Amino acid sequence: MSTQKLVISPAPHVHGSNDTRRMMGDVLIALLPALVVSVLAYGWQAFIVTAFSVACCVLTEWFVQKFLLKGPATLGNLSAVVTGVLLAFNLPANIPLGLVAIGAVVAIGIGKMTFGGLGKNPFNPALVGRVFLLIAFPVAMTTFPEAAGAVSGATPLAVAKEALKVGTPMSEVMQNFDLGAMSLGMRSGSLGEISAVALLLGFVWLLVRRVIRWHVPVFVLGTMALISGITWAIAPEQYMSPLFHLLNGGAVLGAVFMATDYVTSPMTTKGAIIYAIGIGMITMFVRLWGAYPEGMSFAILIMNAVVPLIDKYVRPKRFGVVKSKK
Amino acid sequence: MVLVLFVICLVASGAVALVNNVTAEPIAKAQAQKVVAALKAVLPEFDNTPEAATVEGFEGVYYEAKSGDQTVGYAFESTSPNGFNGNVKLMVGFAVDGTIVNIEVLEQAETPGLGTNMTVADNVLLLSFRGKQAADVNMTVKKDGGDVDALTAATISSRAYTDAVARAYAAFKSVTTGEVNAYTSATQLKAQTENATTATEAPACGGCTKEEAQECGKGPHGNCGANCKHK
Amino acid sequence: MGKNLSTFTSGIVKNNPTFVLVLGMCPTLATTSSAANGMGMGAATMFVLIMSNIVISLIKNLIPDKVRIPAYIVVIASFVTVVQLLMQAYLPDLYNTLGVFIPLIVVNCIILGRAEAFASKNGVWASALDGAGIGLGFTLSLTLIGMVREILGNGQIFGMDLWQGGGALIFVLAPGAFIVLGYLMILFRKLTAKK
Repeated sequence: MSTQKLVISPAPHVHGSNDTRRMMGDVLIALLPALVVSVLAYGWQAFIVTAFSVACCVLTEWFVQKFLLKGPATLGNLSAVVTGVLLAFNLPANIPLGLVAIGAVVAIGIGKMTFGGLGKNPFNPALVGRVFLLIAFPVAMTTFPEAAGAVSGATPLAVAKEALKVGTPMSEVMQNFDLGAMSLGMRSGSLGEISAVALLLGFVWLLVRRVIRWHVPVFVLGTMALISGITWAIAPEQYMSPLFHLLNGGAVLGAVFMATDYVTSPMTTKGAIIYAIGIGMITMFVRLWGAYPEGMSFAILIMNAVVPLIDKYVRPKRFGVVKSKK
Repeated sequence: MVLVLFVICLVASGAVALVNNVTAEPIAKAQAQKVVAALKAVLPEFDNTPEAATVEGFEGVYYEAKSGDQTVGYAFESTSPNGFNGNVKLMVGFAVDGTIVNIEVLEQAETPGLGTNMTVADNVLLLSFRGKQAADVNMTVKKDGGDVDALTAATISSRAYTDAVARAYAAFKSVTTGEVNAYTSATQLKAQTENATTATEAPACGGCTKEEAQECGKGPHGNCGANCKHK
Repeated sequence: MGKNLSTFTSGIVKNNPTFVLVLGMCPTLATTSSAANGMGMGAATMFVLIMSNIVISLIKNLIPDKVRIPAYIVVIASFVTVVQLLMQAYLPDLYNTLGVFIPLIVVNCIILGRAEAFASKNGVWASALDGAGIGLGFTLSLTLIGMVREILGNGQIFGMDLWQGGGALIFVLAPGAFIVLGYLMILFRKLTAKK
């Protein structure tokens, strides 16, 4: 790094890769508990998918950087590894490896390198990969293997949504689920999203290491709890409870690991809170009234697109400027 | 200025009228051919020009196909409103003995890649019906206890498809027997839903308690054996 | 003649309506789910474009300046209606697939744009060539986009199976149109920049 000149450029600023490397390393450590749970639930297949996804992401980044962008190698900052793990965490464990490769190429190739690489991508690359796969191969992306201790092959959100749609009351739906076991990972779903507890452990680690601010996850989950709480309070038999919403789908995974991505979230704390509330709202709207059972990934991508606008209007206070009284 | 614009409009509308005149007949022919093509796909060989007719208790139209003077089958344009994303409209063809000859999807707006698989040739839904005696098929999806294989990850779309076939079959019975056979299963379905909603206010499962119901593993609407007076 | 030839070819490469001028995006994105659809849309647009260019260059001296836009629109709309009726009569399948986008050719900015920018200032022959060039460029681009989307999305080309088992469905849907258009634009710029 010592040979590089100091470059002064307008915001947003990207951290130097030394820093990026440390923080990405911490993110990887924080993701470990969830990986362990998914291996326990789905067996080694979960590990193979994750490792393969990481390998494909790293390879794509290396290839594009070297032959298409002809820029300096950027693999050292570990961001491709994080993208690979997050992408794998958003896939079912029994997905064919070919699709994982396509997802990785889309995530890094289209989601990140097309825009110029780390720091320039408007959208979270792992989510670009996931949503691409979801729309391109809906059958493979919505059939989940039976996890140890889970009731059925579809995700609880999907099961509950379909049951509610034909008029089954919620109390009856809930007899198939045990929220306590669910929070530990005893349910079907994507690789990394199944255990809220393991993901929250990672959240604590990230807070302790000061890698992320607490605002985004808390406001995303808080907004979701509020909206689902209102609908649930009005008609408890026709809507899922807030706890059910928070423990299921990609709520915690998205709030802690995806929404907090530096590059694609607003710069200021105030902006981040607006962004987080937006994610929570869109997620709940999709879940309650949309066609898909889960809306977390769509919500984050949509709010990613709004980030430049938020950054334009919610600016950090300039140093030394006294706010004039109106 | 106004005059020039007027003349241009006049000439243009004259030209359009001319083309309209020339193409009116082929357009009508093409549209009729579309219906005939759908009918040919779902019915045994016929040589008349079937005309749309209606029957009491059925919302769509049906066509009677004849070979000479002999009626060879009926085709029903049957719509189910219960699709994942609006209506599912099918052309269902029956032979006179009640065998389902074939089914064509005329209209659907289901989720691409999931529900839209109902339009794919030889999909599991179609195979559950095609060539079978309609009376022998329990027209609900397997998940709900019937005989119909649902499409992967598209149960709601499959239910709508099955619903449309069931409506067509009810109409087929009305046509062949002469009795009014109003389609009941949609209304039944609605009644069931209403029952289910009201049932939650009553104690779960009529006779057996929640715990007993859970013991037999399937929840209150499952088979909790002799204990259950609910079903 | 050399000038006429360059009028014709500039519409295909240098002023390619899709990849360079970025005009008429609505039909470009909406009707290119397969190569045949893209080609059908392109052909229909090309017909309207050539005919309206010819007629407008013929009557350009008769039209007062103040009402030229309404006059152009009337001419264009008439030809679109003609295309629509002909298609409905003789190509009903294509008509059903393209649906509302056939009448929408009226508001395709390529056509009004060429009428205003070229046909109202040039002779009949040159205007016809310009229409043919731009129309052909539009048709080729749409067919190309349709082809890429059909191959990636369905594993087919012009309805023939290239391999079994289909492809990535997203390319047949709306997001695929944007992705394919974007990357083809990059490719087009890269290829033409070298010359």
